[in-house]
Amino acid sequence: MGLQSCTKLSPFSIFNLPTTLNRFSNRFHHRLRSPPPLLVRALSSSTAAAPQPPTAAISDDAKVAQWKAAIDFKWIRDNKDAVAANIRARNSNANLQLVLELYDNMLNLQKVRLQEVERLRAERNVVANKMKAKLESSERQKLIEEGKNLKDVLVSLEEDLLKLTDELQQEAQCVPNMTHPDAPVGGEDCSTVRKVVGKPREFGFAIKDHVQLGKDLDIIDFDAASEVSGSKFYYLKNEAVLLEMGLVNWAVSEAMKRGFTPLTTPEIVRSSIVEKCGFQPRGNNTQVYSIVGSDQCLIGTAEIPVGGIHMDSILAEASLPLKYVAFSHCFRTEAGAAGTATRGLYRVHQFSKVEMFVLCRPEESDSFHEELISIEEDLFSSLGLHFNTLDMATEDLGAPAYRKFDVEAWMPGLGRYGEISSASNCTDYQSRRLGIRYRPGLSTPSKKGKGSSGVTQFVHTLNATACAVPRMLVCLLENYQQEDGTVIVPEPLRPFVGGLEVIDYKYR
Amino acid sequence: MGLQSCTKLSPFSIFNLPTTLNRFSYRFHHHLRSPPPLLVRALSSSSTAAAPQPPTAAISDDTKVAQWKAAIDFKWIRDNKEAVAANIRTRNSNANLQLVLELYDNMLNLQKEVERLRAERNVVANKMKAKLEPSERQKLIEEGKNLKDVLVSLEEDLLKLTDELQQEAQCVPNMTHPDAPVGGEDCSTVRKVVGKPREFGFAIKDHVQLGKDLDIIDFDAASEVSGSKFYYLKNEAVLLEMGLVNWAVSEVMKSGFTPLTTPEIVRSSIVQKCGFQPRGSNTQVYSIVGSDQCLIGTAEIPVGGIHMDSILAEASLPLKYVAFSHCFRTEAGAAGTATRGLYRVHQFSKVEMFVLCRPEESDSFHEELISIEEDLFSSLGLHFKTLDMATEDLGAPAYRKFDVEAWMPGLGRYGEISSASNCTDYQSRRLGIRYRPGPSTPSKKGKGSSGVTQFVHTLNATACAVPRMLVCLLENYQQEDGTVVVPEPLRPFVGGLEVIDYKYR
Repeated sequence: MGLQSCTKLSPFSIFNLPTTLNRFSNRFHHRLRSPPPLLVRALSSSTAAAPQPPTAAISDDAKVAQWKAAIDFKWIRDNKDAVAANIRARNSNANLQLVLELYDNMLNLQKVRLQEVERLRAERNVVANKMKAKLESSERQKLIEEGKNLKDVLVSLEEDLLKLTDELQQEAQCVPNMTHPDAPVGGEDCSTVRKVVGKPREFGFAIKDHVQLGKDLDIIDFDAASEVSGSKFYYLKNEAVLLEMGLVNWAVSEAMKRGFTPLTTPEIVRSSIVEKCGFQPRGNNTQVYSIVGSDQCLIGTAEIPVGGIHMDSILAEASLPLKYVAFSHCFRTEAGAAGTATRGLYRVHQFSKVEMFVLCRPEESDSFHEELISIEEDLFSSLGLHFNTLDMATEDLGAPAYRKFDVEAWMPGLGRYGEISSASNCTDYQSRRLGIRYRPGLSTPSKKGKGSSGVTQFVHTLNATACAVPRMLVCLLENYQQEDGTVIVPEPLRPFVGGLEVIDYKYR
Repeated sequence: MGLQSCTKLSPFSIFNLPTTLNRFSYRFHHHLRSPPPLLVRALSSSSTAAAPQPPTAAISDDTKVAQWKAAIDFKWIRDNKEAVAANIRTRNSNANLQLVLELYDNMLNLQKEVERLRAERNVVANKMKAKLEPSERQKLIEEGKNLKDVLVSLEEDLLKLTDELQQEAQCVPNMTHPDAPVGGEDCSTVRKVVGKPREFGFAIKDHVQLGKDLDIIDFDAASEVSGSKFYYLKNEAVLLEMGLVNWAVSEVMKSGFTPLTTPEIVRSSIVQKCGFQPRGSNTQVYSIVGSDQCLIGTAEIPVGGIHMDSILAEASLPLKYVAFSHCFRTEAGAAGTATRGLYRVHQFSKVEMFVLCRPEESDSFHEELISIEEDLFSSLGLHFKTLDMATEDLGAPAYRKFDVEAWMPGLGRYGEISSASNCTDYQSRRLGIRYRPGPSTPSKKGKGSSGVTQFVHTLNATACAVPRMLVCLLENYQQEDGTVVVPEPLRPFVGGLEVIDYKYR
């Protein structure tokens, strides 16, 4: 593709006047087959109550029913050296020692409880038998008290066990996902380059950055947004609006061609869902906006509401993989980002994003990871962008990611590469928290007996950015600018922006 | 147009495979002309709130944020108090006009007093310039000091009084168009009827059932993830949403509107200036923890804010914007009213038209806006009524309001799909949006400068509120076999999709 010296035609005809460049006869329901297996939506005990309507303020200390991640403690204990090494490689502050201790204590306490339950039952029988005889009232009273004491011991044990379980959960939830053996170990400078596509364009003239282009072409307004909302907000105007809508439409349609089911999602979710996906809504430098008077948050990515769709469910194996492409607005506080690259559209509080999300069987997640990054690379190549695909080093992997590939595209106006996309394989980290299982072998979970394998497994989940609009705008504006200050629209996008070929000045 | 018994073609080819139904050679920058006049962005003292706090610490509701001042014409209110009182009555507003007039009077008196004392202080100061006996000088110094003390105290009172006056006066609703029907909601009159209810020869479904059967809307998963009144759109509904937005924006652009996308998080003061109440007990507005920011319930709010505290050149008017945004509403206090399915939701996509114009033009722009809306909805084959809303149903900002209610057969009633309001100068007096009549650039002094600035009039109108449009389209275009036909004007925007079909048989 690349940058063409395009003849400047009438910039904008009509929005719905695209040319049909390629004609796939993609049938919408390409997976026409027997009815999808029924999903069993089991309500786990950890499902929080309906979110409070935003009337009264909830303090941060309010005790919301804590949810439990289905963490495999036994596996951690049996593989503690590997887990410890992983924690080190990732520079995580998880306390494995404490987790193992608490786990041990919990097992012991469970044993003790079992014994006490037995003892109580035995004692109760004895007492019950004794009480059948004729007794002095004082003796009777003593027996009753004995019985009560035993019960109290048990109640106290249960309380301790509950507390211990909570503590264990709290510590264990900090343990990051294991790491792919091929992932480079170390800090961000250890990330390796998997692929390079294209090379930086050579400009024969002094170039502008996207902020200047946005101003000169009257397509981005930061100043008004600063008054109305604060810094890192913006209005898009004129052709930038068409570009945003066009980019979203194009990304969604490209993903649909590859078998992804399109979705739009809620952008307000319960905070527990945010946590289950591996984010921290309540940290000091949290990226997450919270809503006053409720336990709800704004999403920073569609990964969160999409991850939540199948929570607390058992899927039939035949329904996997589930491949979603979701469009949403995303909101991020960017707290703690001061000083880092923040100019213009590069780091903003609100943006549109098209996100791919896959739920699959464990043995397939590696290959889906390859598929996702491959789709991303195709998308960005087709727009003529120059970029590197990086295999992220262990210290740069978020807690949920087993392996992560980032795409950094060349942004000539900023004079450096900037991340435009990220593809993570979260294996079972999220699914153990969201409670997403599948039953191997069965085509419908409700049919008992016939070919039932019994034990459910956790699915693997993956997520990948198809298109983060502001960063794509940075790339397109800066890479496709011409000497006269206009900007060319790359061909694949033109059908989605009504045939618009050039972004021109609004007056001369 | 109407409902066609469509042959069912392959439902969905490819997204970017639209047919080009009409070929306007619409040039994008239709307003190709001399450079737009420079906007003078004056920072009024009242609008300079500090940068919004980053969401780290909690702000209690009692926190005193610097209060902004609406440029209310108190003199006009006083001179027209009967009309204002009558208006308050017909709108069933709880504004306290009596109090406003009292406070205004007190404020004027206090101002006079303050000025008088200032003058006296100047006299004293002048006297001190002359050669004086020490005892005389001492006396004058004392006089001056006393005057200063009284002044300081009076100035504090004046500040407080001004705040009180503002608080009361901001409650006074906009005046009302003489033709607007007076009374409660049953007094709203029908301006126009387009089409009639379709006659179905079969038992119809509502959009919730259709959404489930066609696997295009999921309420249950959203209820778990977010709570009630949230939803996921799936499959063709996603295409329809994106298509509706694209179509609405492009249609409205043809009428000379500038497309925009807007922030959806704004400072709460902007919300208030547009006439909404972020902090009431049944507020429609979501607030963000640890800041003075809110989520917008409509793009009217961030668009209204674009030109706040500005003086526009007359030649730049009218400014016509079409803005696409997501909107968030708590719907607190809506329990019991119609809430089924997509009819009342916490989050939705909307395309909104917003106009800033000269006062003498707002009536005609109101007509233009409602006319655009009626064209949009007619072209989709919807049956609807346009209502002239009665006084008790006008929001405080609206001088006049036209609502469009479309027939929703599955719900068995008419439902509001759009609203067009002329807010005259209500919002602009709060947002501080003025224009300078006469010359083409405000910066050219002397040459034909008229001097006195005026407040613009603002109008807003819904081009497309996606969930309610989905209700209309799904329920009206359903077929006996449970599939749904996509009306022709939308097909180019949904990749040629003609029918929403079952996902499996």
